[in-house]
Amino acid sequence: MSAPAVTWTDAAWVRRIVRGRGIWPAVPALLYVFVMLAVPLAVLFAFGFLTIDRGRVIPGSFTVAHYQRILTDSLSWLLFWRSFRLGVATTLLCLVLGYPVAYLYTLVGPAARKLLLIAVISPLLTSALVRTYAWLVILGGRRGLLNTVLLRLGIVDTPLRILNTDWAVLIGLTQVHLPFMILPLIAALASRDRFLEEASANLGASRLETFLRVVVPLSLPGIAAGTALVFALSYTNFIIPQLLGGGTYSTVAVKVYEQTIVILDWATGAVLAALLLGSCFVLVLLITWTANRAMAWREGTR
Amino acid sequence: MTPALERARRRRAWSPGDAAGAVVLTGLAALALVVLVAPLLVVVLISFDGREYIGFPPERLSLRWYQALWGHAQLIDAAKVSLRVALDVTLAGVVLGVPAAYALVRGTFPGRTVAGAFLVAPQMMPGLVIGVAVLFFGAYFAFRASHLMLILSLTVFCLPFVIRIAMARLAGLDPALEEASAALGAGRFETFLRVTLPQVAGAVLGAAAVVFIEAFDNVTVALFTASARARPLAVELYYLVQYDSSPLVAAVSAFEILLAFLAVAVASRTIGLERIGR
Repeated sequence: MSAPAVTWTDAAWVRRIVRGRGIWPAVPALLYVFVMLAVPLAVLFAFGFLTIDRGRVIPGSFTVAHYQRILTDSLSWLLFWRSFRLGVATTLLCLVLGYPVAYLYTLVGPAARKLLLIAVISPLLTSALVRTYAWLVILGGRRGLLNTVLLRLGIVDTPLRILNTDWAVLIGLTQVHLPFMILPLIAALASRDRFLEEASANLGASRLETFLRVVVPLSLPGIAAGTALVFALSYTNFIIPQLLGGGTYSTVAVKVYEQTIVILDWATGAVLAALLLGSCFVLVLLITWTANRAMAWREGTR
Repeated sequence: MTPALERARRRRAWSPGDAAGAVVLTGLAALALVVLVAPLLVVVLISFDGREYIGFPPERLSLRWYQALWGHAQLIDAAKVSLRVALDVTLAGVVLGVPAAYALVRGTFPGRTVAGAFLVAPQMMPGLVIGVAVLFFGAYFAFRASHLMLILSLTVFCLPFVIRIAMARLAGLDPALEEASAALGAGRFETFLRVTLPQVAGAVLGAAAVVFIEAFDNVTVALFTASARARPLAVELYYLVQYDSSPLVAAVSAFEILLAFLAVAVASRTIGLERIGR
């Protein structure tokens, strides 16, 4: 750049240079995501329509046979139904457990807030595998923590069998994904207008009414964001069902892993992964759409 | 809140419904916090158990599993692999992500929103799908699962963290400083290096801590892209959890928890805990 011949009267010109910057600093990242995500996804979708023999694509072998085989297999539908149920149950459980934490966060003082955040973020940054292992220890067998406590307190006579059931998977999924529900809820609840609650109280509403009819509707964007995120993550998780569900427990995501890594049937893996991603996308759109409808309805009834 | 409103609020009595609601809400919040934190405490606790198997409560407190860990060549090697990989991913993420965030915040090019959505898309993508896609991509173009593939795949997974955190910080900067720098004759690059970058350095450090821990702990992508010869710790642990029933896994886990707390400490000082979430 040449010597500065600018004065402050040229501020608009300066501003254009500083702000009117081009796209170029983002180009390496854009290229990177294109090559490492967009292209691999294209390959993944393509693999579902090809014949693959031990990791080698047979050229010119376009076929819809894999899709046909998988979509007509009742076992696939069973797996999708189980993944869906687990995703929905996890999301609802996270909402029921997470909402009170996020709401509490907006009521307490700064020190308690910080503690609450640490309690939410520390598990988030701790390996999900470690947390899943912890549940293996807590729920596991007769010597597991839960059964030891329940037996000693005399609440149950025989050890509960939780590990290797849907319940263990549900508990694990909920714990691992709870922070993803709480953080968007905190963001939505912390920015709400408190005067609306005052107004509600002054108009004669009880605290419960104010909570249900003012606070909860105001936090809809957070509920939408958290719900979409937790559903997408729990619907596609394969580590937790594998470790807590036991050897024979399977979901679509577990099946994708088994087909690609263990059985090496890549075409089936590719089809299932594509269907999993596609259905996840549609369901998340559905959640967003429903939330938008609810928010529109909220505006309408004001 | 005006004093009058404050008084009006205090005057309001609690109805039975209110009390029940408060009890339910507090109870659920307490349960949620126990569910969140208890697993971490349990893991740390049993890592000090001196017995061969896992049981409650731990008996014979000892450090034998930490000693066993120290002598476990396979795990130590895996930890070294993870350390290298996580450092490389962090470096790549910062080098790619910070300029990209700058372009997205300061740029006026058309399609900024689309470019931004595209760059954070990996975060919306299940790790499983990224892993499978990169595995197939590598096979199609005849790249083997390797150290490099692992770094490349984890970088795409972690890039959104850097971009989001850096964007949030950049959006909060006063452009007047950059304008002054330009007005005083600094070029674009010089302004970025000497004026913009120092202001976002803290946020970048925080983002680096988050990316490091995400890359170090990742198993969903790494299971598909790591080579069998150089397995990262997370993958090694994934196999170990399935057949080892001694507190050894707990000792490894305790280290990972310690690492997570270090990352939390760094991030809380640099970007604030509120911003860590997605």
